[in-house]
Amino acid sequence: MEAALAAAEVRTGPPGFEVWVTEKADALLRFAYVLTGDSSLAEDAVQDALTTACARWARVSRADDPEAYVKRMVVNAHISWWRRFRRREAPVPEPVRTARAVGDGTAARAESEAIWALCATLPDKQRAAVVLRFYEELSYAEIAQLLHCAEATARSHVHRALAALKTTLSTEGAEDA
Amino acid sequence: MPEHDPEQELGPKFTSALQNQAGAEAGLQKTGLAQEARRRVRRRRQGWSMAAGAVLVAAAIGGVWSLVGGESPVATGSSNTSGDSKAAAPNRSFEGVMPSPAPDNMCPLEHPILKAAGPDALQASAGLDLATKVTGLRACRYGFAEGGTGLLGQEVFNAAVAQQVVDAIKVLPERNPDLPVFKCAPPTAKPSEAIVLRFDTAAGVREIWVEYDGCESAGFYTGTHTYGLYSAPLKLFMTGSVRPSGGTYLNALKDW
Repeated sequence: MEAALAAAEVRTGPPGFEVWVTEKADALLRFAYVLTGDSSLAEDAVQDALTTACARWARVSRADDPEAYVKRMVVNAHISWWRRFRRREAPVPEPVRTARAVGDGTAARAESEAIWALCATLPDKQRAAVVLRFYEELSYAEIAQLLHCAEATARSHVHRALAALKTTLSTEGAEDA
Repeated sequence: MPEHDPEQELGPKFTSALQNQAGAEAGLQKTGLAQEARRRVRRRRQGWSMAAGAVLVAAAIGGVWSLVGGESPVATGSSNTSGDSKAAAPNRSFEGVMPSPAPDNMCPLEHPILKAAGPDALQASAGLDLATKVTGLRACRYGFAEGGTGLLGQEVFNAAVAQQVVDAIKVLPERNPDLPVFKCAPPTAKPSEAIVLRFDTAAGVREIWVEYDGCESAGFYTGTHTYGLYSAPLKLFMTGSVRPSGGTYLNALKDW
């Protein structure tokens, strides 16, 4: 039965899924990594999204931007309640810096590490909003649509993260001084 | 001094940090994603197919069950008279009704009651001792009238209902004094129909004959005892195709 299903799928499925995945896997995984902050979670989210995309490949491949379509699936998979439940992750009320900047000799590198550490402390939706805004460079309207919230809420997510970052960098600057 | 937009000021820092981290992460598994996706899709579809098959089987079983149990509590293999439709059977619970009859307890097409001169013809050996535990019941309704002779209908009941019928009968007096006494001519003395209750017991099938029409006799006959005709036991088994449209004595009972 499995062989028959596979054969039917090859006959009827739209071509190009494997090729497309080969081309886009890197970008999808990087996106998922910055979104989740964890390699395993990133691979898991991308695999789930690709499984969904494979089942609907005829429709996904006809989209204006299939990559954006699948990235939306990754975001949805990441912020879905059951996945959060599975991770048993508890969002903290306020972002807290958990790791000190690595003193590797360059201020830029230290700042980058500090921001990454800050991202790890953000609640899922806030982090997703930040990633979509600054990594994917989406508009607030697009972010709101993806996160199933109002545009003002999406804007609030980003601004709260920025405020936390500002506090972190200020504190760090004071400590360094 | 103009206030800086925090997004313009700090946004590039986020962008840079996220891109740095994304670029630095080289340990992600990039191969086999498409194959794994196809494998999961196949497995998911197989699961759906199996679930759909299970639902279809369940629906088919449910359909057969409702077909068997919906129109009539049991499949009545014999013909039914038009008189039955006139009789509005009480909307009784079907929980005591079994869908499949035991083959050895089928209502015989040719039953001795069809040729008996009266209910006393029931042999004691064939009659039910009301102290006996019963495990099932099939009610068989027979017609004696010209053109309507033979098995008119049958219904099957489970052990609980069978025992209820027995319990309801054995407390009855020998006759119901509230029923009228007729002096009728021989052509109308013979009932037009009667019911044979065939109980499953450890010793085999045992019967009670129920007379409710004509003008000679009315009651429950076990072969050794006669119990008066009351509505309490009748209500338990006079359903569906074994519910008469009427009867001389039934008409005198108000709530059968």
